[in-house]
Amino acid sequence: MWAGVLLAMVGLTLGVIVGLNVPMVLPQVYAQYLGLGVLAALDSVFGGIRAALEDHYDNHIFVTGFFSNILLAAGLAYIGTKLGVPLSTAAVVAFGVRLFQNLAIIRRHLLKK
Amino acid sequence: MNKTLYISIAVVSVVLGLMVAFQFRTAGRVDSGVPIDRVQLLTTELKQIEKEYTTLLIEANDLESKLAQAEKGRPEASQAVQKELQKVRQIAGMTELEGPGVEVTLAPIKKEDLQAGENLFTVRDEDLLRVINELRGAGAEALAINGQRIISNSEIRLAGTFIDVNLTRISPPYSVLAIGAPDQLESALLIKGGLVDTMRNWGVAVNVAKKETLTVPAYKHRIHIEYAKPLKEEK
Repeated sequence: MWAGVLLAMVGLTLGVIVGLNVPMVLPQVYAQYLGLGVLAALDSVFGGIRAALEDHYDNHIFVTGFFSNILLAAGLAYIGTKLGVPLSTAAVVAFGVRLFQNLAIIRRHLLKK
Repeated sequence: MNKTLYISIAVVSVVLGLMVAFQFRTAGRVDSGVPIDRVQLLTTELKQIEKEYTTLLIEANDLESKLAQAEKGRPEASQAVQKELQKVRQIAGMTELEGPGVEVTLAPIKKEDLQAGENLFTVRDEDLLRVINELRGAGAEALAINGQRIISNSEIRLAGTFIDVNLTRISPPYSVLAIGAPDQLESALLIKGGLVDTMRNWGVAVNVAKKETLTVPAYKHRIHIEYAKPLKEEK
């Protein structure tokens, strides 16, 4: 358990360091899609933490959910802009609500302990 | 089982960290950059202008090629016009001409030789007119009397005791220059019982000389056309 948390921390810092030092910069136009991807990823991660606290964590579901959520969020937003429908707003609302729900459940689990 | 769990956690966290950092950097730039709406607006505008630019470029190329073509055609056309102009000026007598022909000199016989009235044996305007007429009839292409070119509206007339040609006073001895076939011109004048014979009888010293080349001067006065208007050419 603690090894996993440690590994996650190390991975996160590694990713941040690499991300901050890569000379490549994403074009402005794609920034909103990446933002949605980040939101979806955070949602997935908090969902995973919640599942782990509820003791029905499944690695496959977590990993596939993580990547598919990112791609779906960004892809839907992209399709939305192409169609002229602001699907990104829908994604933001949906992921935001789930994010806060997950956070609330995690908080309750932590408080119960 | 545990291994894959750790690997997946590590991969997921690295990806998350990367994305967050990236997004952080891009979002940080938003303040300094242009708003996205503006970017899109400008992009569409740019695309439109680029399209316009290409069409204008095509048009410019087209016009340039047309211009080049016109330029190519122009020297020929101007040459043709120049040639035509040259011809018309020649016909009108506005140019100096050179060629073979005859020189006819008319002079009154000296008074000492004949005891007669002064006026009787001078060269009259009619004599000059006759000479000019005869030369024209023989195919003279250009005529001049004492440096005055004879053109379509030249006059030869007596004005007092002098003769005016082109409103310019000329005085004896008179020299008539004619460009044409020299033999033809000469024979037309010297024919037996012809003009020269008659004039010699009247007491005018006439001399006809064939010339290899002689120069007929250009008409030097202004041509003033006030009343005559060209009709529209009917086709």
